[in-house]
Amino acid sequence: MNSIVKSLHRLILSNWRRVALGLASMALFLTIWSLYAAWLRADWPFHGTPSGAWEYIPYPWEVLEAFYLSIWSHPVSGLYMGEHVYASLKRIITGFILAFALAVPAGLLMGRLWGAEAVGKPLVELFRPIPPLAWIPIFLLIFGVIWGPIAIVFLGVFFPILLNIQFGARSVDPTLIDAARTLGARRLDIFTKVVLPFTIPYLMTGVTVGLGIGWMCIVAAEMLGAVGGGVGYFIFTTAGNSQYPYMYAGMLMIGILSILTTGIAGLFERRVSKWMGMR
Amino acid sequence: MDGNEVKVSISISSLSKVFTKEKKEVVALRDFALEVKEGEFVCLLGPSGCGKTTVLRIVAGLEDKTSGSVKLQGKEINSAGPDRGMVFQEFALFPWRTVRKNIEFGLDVKKVPESERTAISTKYIELVGLKGFEDSHPKELSGGMKQRVGIARALANEPKVLLMDEPFGALDAQTRNLMQKELLRIWSATKKTILFVTHSVDEAVFLADRIVVMTARPGKVREIIPVNLPRPRDRTSREFIEVRGKVLAELDEEFEKARAKELSPD
Repeated sequence: MNSIVKSLHRLILSNWRRVALGLASMALFLTIWSLYAAWLRADWPFHGTPSGAWEYIPYPWEVLEAFYLSIWSHPVSGLYMGEHVYASLKRIITGFILAFALAVPAGLLMGRLWGAEAVGKPLVELFRPIPPLAWIPIFLLIFGVIWGPIAIVFLGVFFPILLNIQFGARSVDPTLIDAARTLGARRLDIFTKVVLPFTIPYLMTGVTVGLGIGWMCIVAAEMLGAVGGGVGYFIFTTAGNSQYPYMYAGMLMIGILSILTTGIAGLFERRVSKWMGMR
Repeated sequence: MDGNEVKVSISISSLSKVFTKEKKEVVALRDFALEVKEGEFVCLLGPSGCGKTTVLRIVAGLEDKTSGSVKLQGKEINSAGPDRGMVFQEFALFPWRTVRKNIEFGLDVKKVPESERTAISTKYIELVGLKGFEDSHPKELSGGMKQRVGIARALANEPKVLLMDEPFGALDAQTRNLMQKELLRIWSATKKTILFVTHSVDEAVFLADRIVVMTARPGKVREIIPVNLPRPRDRTSREFIEVRGKVLAELDEEFEKARAKELSPD
């Protein structure tokens, strides 16, 4: 009993340290940022003549203010921040669903059948290293402004899911398959009752990684045009209008959205693994 | 069973197995022959690499034979099937399934209705002493408990024979002894035919009706030693030690042969 209390205490203490250190690093970052902005403008504690670049680096509170204002007003193409977020989320989710629907069966096949692996591997190895951003010009031409950005997200999400599930399917413990066979399982049973459940944690990892990359792609995808706005579109437009605090507010929004979606995916991943008794 | 009418369960004759490894042929088994009677407990014993596990895997249908014949109740075996239950050294439990769901795996495959499935799994959970652990996942169990699940899972399919591949090899000495006693209890309750692979002389003498000592590779039967001691057997009794000595002497010669072969250049 005493040891349980002790370990609980230690857990809280160690988490407190984490929180405190996290806050400290955040505070340090904001201080350096503020000082740099002040130096560019020759504000207190500095003096002299302001640098010409001062307007590129607003104060943190100016960014926060812009963030707040963009939620309640519409500085860019008459759309509230909520509408931009919605537009980007829609692209991410559509691209994600398409990538998931294709990557899962392809990864399973490539992980279990050497023929599928032999067919798929050269293609994967050829296309995977090409950054999704390199596809932007041609995708906008081929798929247009509606499906172009979605196709970019698709590429970003597709490979992490494919490779993770392929790896998972390949690493199924062969004695588990032996055991299933001696219990009367045939090919289809082995696939649905052994291979599939075994790969689920790997799939979840692929989803979490893929979502993060999806957010990286969305900004670039929205660069050349986005019907109905988008957070990436918001960033490029405000930058073009020299509304730098708003530009930073859009960047902050991307960070927050990415943390939220991958956080939810990660939570889901741990839940599923625990429920399945894998962790 | 009355008199001489003892039926043959597993019948293996002139069984050979050749593996091809990096274009080199390795003869694992040559002319292996054995008959296991219905309800009998037979241990396969031999130096490591002698092919005892290969024999078991061929009987299970997990491995193809090169030539020869393997029959279960007179029918030739060609592939894996639920009439031969197998218990693995590494337990091979499905980590995402609870104890009950692991035991029900074979019944799931056979699409046995749920109520019947539950009744069967409950019966075997009680038989192997896992009551109260039905909803645990394998990672929450000790090694001994895991192997109880492995045994129950194999039995739940009502196989004709139970094939056991060093099932207690991964357990500590105390648990191992306990599990041996438990297995004998389960054996006498279910009257299953058991073919049991081990490299422990002590384990073989404690468990088996007959011990099959195999030669070093290529593996074949060197000697079949019956153990005519009443159960429960006392490891410290004079008779036990006598049988043990006899088996050890046979085995030692094979160990020496295997070692000599390893040391001599090809």
